[in-house]
Amino acid sequence: MPYIIIISVVLLILIIGIALYNSLIRKKNDVENAFASIDVMLKKRYNLIPAIVDAVKGYMKHERILLTEITSLRAQALLDDLNNDHRVIIENKIQKGISELFVAVENYPDLKASQNFLHLQGSLNEVEEQLAASRRAFNAAVTLYNNSIEVFPSSIIASMMNYGRRTLFEIPESERENVSGKALLERQ
Amino acid sequence: MSEYKDFREFYEQELLPDLEIIDRKRKKVDRRVITVLLITVAVIIVELSLIPKTNDIRIVVPIITGIIGFIIISVFSKSYRQEYKNRIITRITAFVDEGLTYTPEGTIAKSEFVKSEIFPLSCDSFKGEDHFRGKLGKTDIEFSEVVARHKNKRRSGSGTKNDYTLIFRGLFIIADFNKHFRTHTVVLPDAAERLFGKFGQKLQSISPGRGELIRLEDPVFEKEFCVYGDDQVESRYILTPALMQRILTFKRKWNTTVYLSFLDSKVYIAIRMFKNLFETRLFKSVVDYSFMEDNLRFLILLTEIVDDLNLNTRIWTKE
Repeated sequence: MPYIIIISVVLLILIIGIALYNSLIRKKNDVENAFASIDVMLKKRYNLIPAIVDAVKGYMKHERILLTEITSLRAQALLDDLNNDHRVIIENKIQKGISELFVAVENYPDLKASQNFLHLQGSLNEVEEQLAASRRAFNAAVTLYNNSIEVFPSSIIASMMNYGRRTLFEIPESERENVSGKALLERQ
Repeated sequence: MSEYKDFREFYEQELLPDLEIIDRKRKKVDRRVITVLLITVAVIIVELSLIPKTNDIRIVVPIITGIIGFIIISVFSKSYRQEYKNRIITRITAFVDEGLTYTPEGTIAKSEFVKSEIFPLSCDSFKGEDHFRGKLGKTDIEFSEVVARHKNKRRSGSGTKNDYTLIFRGLFIIADFNKHFRTHTVVLPDAAERLFGKFGQKLQSISPGRGELIRLEDPVFEKEFCVYGDDQVESRYILTPALMQRILTFKRKWNTTVYLSFLDSKVYIAIRMFKNLFETRLFKSVVDYSFMEDNLRFLILLTEIVDDLNLNTRIWTKE
């Protein structure tokens, strides 16, 4: 009789352990998945940059330096051996450069009215909006994951698996304002 | 409020002559209704006194008489109601927005109601009236009153008995959304979380046939609503922090239960409501400015949905 009790207790612990282990793995994969979706959106943005630069350079006379800078930043961002911190810095610079570019567009009424430019602006807004959504999805996945590795009893399994906290994506203030400042502010 | 001042002018010049004609008809209808009511009551009294107490039909026959009386009354008032809607509500609609058309007998399609997947129970009886459709700015919109019921089959003794559960009664709105999307997201009122807090959140995640639970970062929104979607990223693409705020404000403005569904680049909104809107009345004059103003206010409130949810802003790829 005592054996049966011991065996059932051990079995129960084992089952709970497996369930917690699986749920941790699932949460970790969700985080990876969400991170990958950010990457997809960033790539979409990189693809748009040359088209935008092409569209504006015929009109813009005083922003040559800015345009060259954006192009070279994009080239850097596409390098494979970039570590994450460096990448975030370059991302922020690109973000800032594009914001400046769209502010400068205000000085060129012809450019602002051009169909091609409007189309590109729409596409960029789209990518930015999806990028923001991906970041929020990533943060939601990370919060779930962080909670479960810190809360008892899954924290025991997490420490056995060497799982550590992941950092949340900070959504920069400049991004909350978003690229084409004026147009996007209208939706607030 | 300037439009109300204009509306008074419109009321006096355009609506008043017709309202007076309609009101004369109403008085006629009122007299008929009273006659029918009196006759029905008299017949019921006679029936009750003639049929012996032990007989089963003592209950059935007066009920049938009552129903017949009710049908006769609604037949009498039908043409008057129709005329009121055709002449008055149609013109108030045009006053609110030229781009809006009104069909008194129309309704949104049952298929659209079902497709929105807001209500999981199968819809077996579907009725609607007061259908409005049009383009407000860049946004195609249509809405109508809807009553949807689910049929329960119950076995009792020898045969099966049917009764109906109310799924939804209120306003159902379909509008073009300002972004393209491919997956489905529903925003439902959140009873579980309000009642059970954290444990309620756990309950929400077990919801068969609803897609994944989307946990959003706005705590006030999370308390009021519960969101399910097929895609974590796309649901957030639709429900931006700004839109969440707008939905909250919208819900408070209407002060009732609100459901939303985002599908096929459109937004479906269900507003629970028990009042029958855009109706005429009996035994009280319709030549009444405040009565007409109520209709106007309500219609304006409905068309404001486009601004409330910012549907006309098209800065993304959807033109």
